[in-house]
Amino acid sequence: MSAHTTATESEQSDGPLLDVRGLKTEFRTDSGPIVASNEVSFSLDRGETMGLVGESGAGKSVTARSVMRLIDSPGEITGGQVVFNGEDLLQKSDAEMRDIRGNRIAMIPQDPMSSLNPVMTVGEQIIETIRRHQDVSKSEARELAIESMDDVGIPDAAERIDDYPHEFSGGMRQRVLVAIGFSCEPDLIIADEPTTALDVTTQAKILDLLNEMQEREGTAVLMITHNLGVVAQTCDHVGVMYAGNLVETAELGDLFARPRHPYTRALIDSIPEVDTDYDELPTLDGAMPDLGSLPSGCNFAPRCPHATEACRTGGDPTLDSVGDTTSRAACIHADSLDLSESTVPEVGVGRSDIDRSGEPLFEVHNLKKYFSAGDGVFGNVHLSFGDGGLPTIERRYVKAVDDVSFDVYPGETVGLVGESGCGKSTVARTALRLLEPTEGEVFFEGQPLHELGSTEVRSLRREMQMIFQDPQSSLNPRKTVGQIVGRAMEKHDIATGEEKRERVGDLLERVGLSRNAASKYPHEFSGGQQQRVAIAHALAVEPKLIVCDEPVSALDVSVQAQILNLLNEIQADENISYLFISHNIGVIRHICDRVAVMYLGKIAEFGNIDDVFSPPFHPYTESLLSAVPHANPNRETDRILLEGSVPSPINPPSGCPFQTRCPKKIGDVCETEFPELEAMDQSGHFISCHLSEAEMSERESFITPPKRTETNAADSD
Amino acid sequence: MYNYVVRRVGFMAVTLFFVTLIAFAVTNILPGDVALLILGPNATEQSLEALQSQLGLNRPLYVQYIDWVVGLIQGNMGESLRFGEPVAQLIAERLPRSLMLAFAATFIAVVLSVPLGVYAAINQNEAPDVTASMFAFVGISMPIFLWGLVFILVFAVWLNLFPTGGYVSPSEDLVGSLTRLALPAGAMGFALTAYIMRMTRSSMLEVLSEEYINLARAKGMSQRVIVLRHALKNAIIPVITVIAFQFSYAFGGVVVLEEVFFWPGIGKLTLTAIQSRDIPLIQGCIVVVALIYMFSNFAADLLYAYFDPRIRYGGDD
Ligand SMILES: Nc1ncnc2c1ncn2[C@@H]1O[C@H](COP(=O)(O)OP(=O)(O)OP(=O)(O)O)[C@@H](O)[C@H]1O
Ligand code: SF4
Ligand code: SF4
Ligand SMILES: [Mg+2]
Repeated sequence: MSAHTTATESEQSDGPLLDVRGLKTEFRTDSGPIVASNEVSFSLDRGETMGLVGESGAGKSVTARSVMRLIDSPGEITGGQVVFNGEDLLQKSDAEMRDIRGNRIAMIPQDPMSSLNPVMTVGEQIIETIRRHQDVSKSEARELAIESMDDVGIPDAAERIDDYPHEFSGGMRQRVLVAIGFSCEPDLIIADEPTTALDVTTQAKILDLLNEMQEREGTAVLMITHNLGVVAQTCDHVGVMYAGNLVETAELGDLFARPRHPYTRALIDSIPEVDTDYDELPTLDGAMPDLGSLPSGCNFAPRCPHATEACRTGGDPTLDSVGDTTSRAACIHADSLDLSESTVPEVGVGRSDIDRSGEPLFEVHNLKKYFSAGDGVFGNVHLSFGDGGLPTIERRYVKAVDDVSFDVYPGETVGLVGESGCGKSTVARTALRLLEPTEGEVFFEGQPLHELGSTEVRSLRREMQMIFQDPQSSLNPRKTVGQIVGRAMEKHDIATGEEKRERVGDLLERVGLSRNAASKYPHEFSGGQQQRVAIAHALAVEPKLIVCDEPVSALDVSVQAQILNLLNEIQADENISYLFISHNIGVIRHICDRVAVMYLGKIAEFGNIDDVFSPPFHPYTESLLSAVPHANPNRETDRILLEGSVPSPINPPSGCPFQTRCPKKIGDVCETEFPELEAMDQSGHFISCHLSEAEMSERESFITPPKRTETNAADSD
Repeated sequence: MYNYVVRRVGFMAVTLFFVTLIAFAVTNILPGDVALLILGPNATEQSLEALQSQLGLNRPLYVQYIDWVVGLIQGNMGESLRFGEPVAQLIAERLPRSLMLAFAATFIAVVLSVPLGVYAAINQNEAPDVTASMFAFVGISMPIFLWGLVFILVFAVWLNLFPTGGYVSPSEDLVGSLTRLALPAGAMGFALTAYIMRMTRSSMLEVLSEEYINLARAKGMSQRVIVLRHALKNAIIPVITVIAFQFSYAFGGVVVLEEVFFWPGIGKLTLTAIQSRDIPLIQGCIVVVALIYMFSNFAADLLYAYFDPRIRYGGDD
């Protein structure tokens, strides 16, 4: 009895588990030192979860890595204290620090694909952590590793322990990383964007897992993320970072109900929520200042709608308690500002009606694209051994797109949504003939694209432009922006010489850049600005259709909102159509008129955005929508977590492609018969499922906020 | 893996076909009449023709080619015009000597360069790294035969540690054989060290900046474990290809170095064959050297697959 008490006493001190005081981390760069983490102070109790949010480059990762003392040259921790279990980690020797890392403080990294060593089995990677910190034999460590894989829900752990990382799916690898993190029962887990690289459905499962592990082990978690939805689902309290400073800390509920710093308000407002209609997303203009040249007053002043003269001249405000609340904010006006109201108008005037009486602009019929699986001299021929040991030869294909049909009308935005690998991008590329279709018909303004020769396709390409996820890779780094945009005009004989220069200038202004941006090179712009250049480039040839492939996925929420608004504005002015690919449900909901939900190369559901987000639901759509984390801590959605992972498109399941994971599967019919897309009503809502309409309508709509249904049903006309 | 090997072997068969075709074509397009070469400028028209038909040289080229290839498959490479002995026998005698030299050189290079490359990478941009890079630069800038001369000058003439050249079979006199091997193998190994070291260094640097190295540090692993267990095992994969290429390169270097060190290997044999227009011998040498190249690359691929589980299992999932 007494032994037990002393053990806990020596382990636990009175104060918080982690107390970071005035932490300062600097990087030496060619243009002088950069303070990436400036006098950051916060604390975290045992078993608690704290979120750390903010734009890219705000210093979240640097702060977290500083806690583990994993800062590499040219970086250096130059001040402050990191008190963990009552001891200052900054005073520890390197060897002592190594005993703490992975043992008392563990890390769950962002990218499951690159964070596991490809030449070591997952077992080796878990076992080495256990053996590093615990005095156990090899076989005991192996048992523990299998147990920890079991704990994180990896099926057949005992068999899979000797597999290599590439034999696991992304979600399973992230589970392995969680297993490594928890393997030594740490007091604190630092999770740096643990779900950012994952699909919504997988993300929901990993977040649940983290919650469950944390509750079981009583572990504290420092959760770094830029996704406020994730924060709302998982955290007890939150720190908001901006330009190296912690600008607000608050209890979760307070942060959303009554933010104290204008930056927090702006951050919350710029997320497109699934259940809200907006005409225009409120944006945070401008960008976070360069850490090398911070403004003299409040760092946020250049973008702050509440900035006064005092803000610009008074030096950077420190993080202080706001009145008698538990919130702290780094804003001189925090006491007087009331930021509890969203700046978003509650309900928009609704989307403009699309006239679908005429001819569609773009039509895709029964499109198929099969890639041959395999490489090398013998191509996709695959040798396999049957029961009798006789080798048989078969040809194998990846059915990336399998019988997809849809159309796009002038001025309309049609979305393609689904998990990674479901074939969204391949649909777009094949439809534009950037890839040769295996089968199917594609019409552009009635012209059969699939029958045209490559020269004719090239001239039609002027009418169909494309914008990609990563603007940097699609803009030639050796050309100025003026040359990039102007070249497109010349190529298609739209304008030359002085006229061209004039139009380039107009276009750059149109997309929110200055005219003299024309003489700069792409690398001189931020990610959001580069995406604007890419949009200007696409608009240069006056296209009728732009295919946008995850155009905002690589951007911060505030920048994302700016780009989405810009796309909407251009559409309203020019009557352009968009084919919009995204895995972000909120973005899809905000920008699309109609949407196709894809699963395993096929369309599971298609229709007007409001119809798809309301019953009846395809079971896959339902689980996808239910998994979206809402940036609203009071909102409880009853999430459907899918079992297993997406099957291989080389060997798709028989019958319904979703049958291996469908929570509503009826039975044999799902396994044997493919459900054709069936019209639900006259409005063009199609679902591919054997269930009856009533069975698919058990859940309420995702877009009608609960409070509106209570008060007034007439709203939903 | 099985599919992978099958595919590679098929690929080699195709390559070999082209090699024989080219070897045959080149030697037949080469100016100079074989019969004339054998009989000398004073030969009469009749005796030339008689010899040509005796050697089968007046048959259509494709018949000659098929004949030659069928012979090759049966292990019969024809008879050397210069030595009057079967080509296969000549090559069988010289080849092991050259292989011994190339293997020894590659071995020396690997033993020197991999640790050096790792050491340079973990001390990036510091004194050891800069020194090693300079050393590598000098190594790369000088041609192999020059290293041969430098080694002879330093170790044989000045220090008098090793003989300047010659060959003794290891079965006759092991010590004598090794002392004669030391200089040519050392010179060539030294020249190869630079490439492999640079490759090891850059490969290590790349791997050390990977996420999984970061995670290994966050797990509390020591620097030694991170470098040897986590980084080197990944970094060595591309280096293996380079080593195999360097082995092929060493084999090419052999031609020159064998001249410098009086090493009676296949390099010297090839030179003699070319100088005396000994067509069957030239063809035989080309095919054998091509085979060596192909097998060293095949070995590299197998090793690559052995070290990289993504390839090991990739072929048949
Ligand atoms: N090795 C380095 N050398 C120089 N500067 C660095 C280095 N690592 C980080 N920084 C700087 O520190 C600042 C904060 O970076 P950090 O990675 O913490 O941002 P973050 O908030 O985690 O952003 P993200 O959301 O993109 O992950 C940035 O300005 C970055 O440029
Ligand atoms: S101090 Fe001024 S500029 Fe800074 S956040 Fe507060 S109101 Fe805005
Ligand atoms: S057809 Fe069957 S398996 Fe497919 S979605 Fe409908 S219920 Fe599920
Ligand atoms: Mg980060």
